[in-house]
Amino acid sequence: MTDKIVTLEQVVEGVLTFALLVASALLLLGLLRGEELALRAGILVLLFTPVTRVVLVTAGLLRVRDYLFGGLSAFVLAVLASSIWVAFWP
Amino acid sequence: MPGSTLLLILSGALTGVVGATLGLGGGVLLVPLLTLAMGVPIRAAIAASLISVIATASASSTVNLEKGLVNLRLGLALEVATAIGGLGGGLASSLLSTDQLFLLFAVTLAVMSLAMVWRSGRRNVIADLTVDPGPLGGTLVEAGTTYVYRVRRLGVAYGSSLVAGAISGLLGVGGGIIKVPILNTFCGVPIRVAASTSAFMIGVTAAASGFVYYGRGDIDLHLAGAVALGALPASLLGARLSHRASTRWLKFLMAAILAGVALQMGWRVR
Repeated sequence: MTDKIVTLEQVVEGVLTFALLVASALLLLGLLRGEELALRAGILVLLFTPVTRVVLVTAGLLRVRDYLFGGLSAFVLAVLASSIWVAFWP
Repeated sequence: MPGSTLLLILSGALTGVVGATLGLGGGVLLVPLLTLAMGVPIRAAIAASLISVIATASASSTVNLEKGLVNLRLGLALEVATAIGGLGGGLASSLLSTDQLFLLFAVTLAVMSLAMVWRSGRRNVIADLTVDPGPLGGTLVEAGTTYVYRVRRLGVAYGSSLVAGAISGLLGVGGGIIKVPILNTFCGVPIRVAASTSAFMIGVTAAASGFVYYGRGDIDLHLAGAVALGALPASLLGARLSHRASTRWLKFLMAAILAGVALQMGWRVR
């Protein structure tokens, strides 16, 4: 069980790193060329990075039938979903 | 790229590296820097700071996950509280006036300053490996030896996480400065695990309120983009430096700076 958590952590770390690189590139592009769209995209990537992380962790935990922590993680996702809902569908 | 943009990137970088090195998250320094030194309206500064806090927290998480310091289960359990706190704080911030935000910031910084000095730095480790860490505890490897720790007083941990989340959503800070001392002093968590796990949670907390700010149009794209861009590489550097920065005098220096900034922020309201 501990091994599976460790692998999950590695996957999460990889995805986080990739997301941050994408965000950096978009922000740099947006600042250099004064492009609002790139800035907006970069900021949204940053906002969605923790969300993606929670999605991955939830899926990973449920897959190994860890329903206690998978359930907790799903609850966190629900809170984030509420926040996203407030933001985009007022 | 205009000079003002470079200055913003530098601000993000400076607060990011100091924040990640000392486990603070740059928000506590960034918001005062932007509002007091650069005349940015406080609401825009808070929104921009949240974005850069997400960047900082995610960046330092990648380093901490590598080091095996993050207690994923504990982090998940407490994230429920910080996320709710963050969402609430983000929603509530529209109810506060500019002056009230400055005042709240000043009070929070003053409390943080005390928390920095008062940290007991308990080791909380048990050398006997036959002890069961329980569902939330774990193991820690320090200087080649493996230790076990157990988590106690979960209610206190939850309560402080909820408050930390609300503060994060209201003021654009990470909230770690509230969680880490409490986890270490009252809940049996070794300091490095507390700091790493707290940093892991901060991204979710900041996102919970960050979306609300985005939806309200409080995020100045150029401002937020510039500070976040500065904070990203800076916090990766800071996270790697963090194990070298635990000298007591540095903490006292930080506490003094926080106290000074608290006074400045409070002074704005006179």
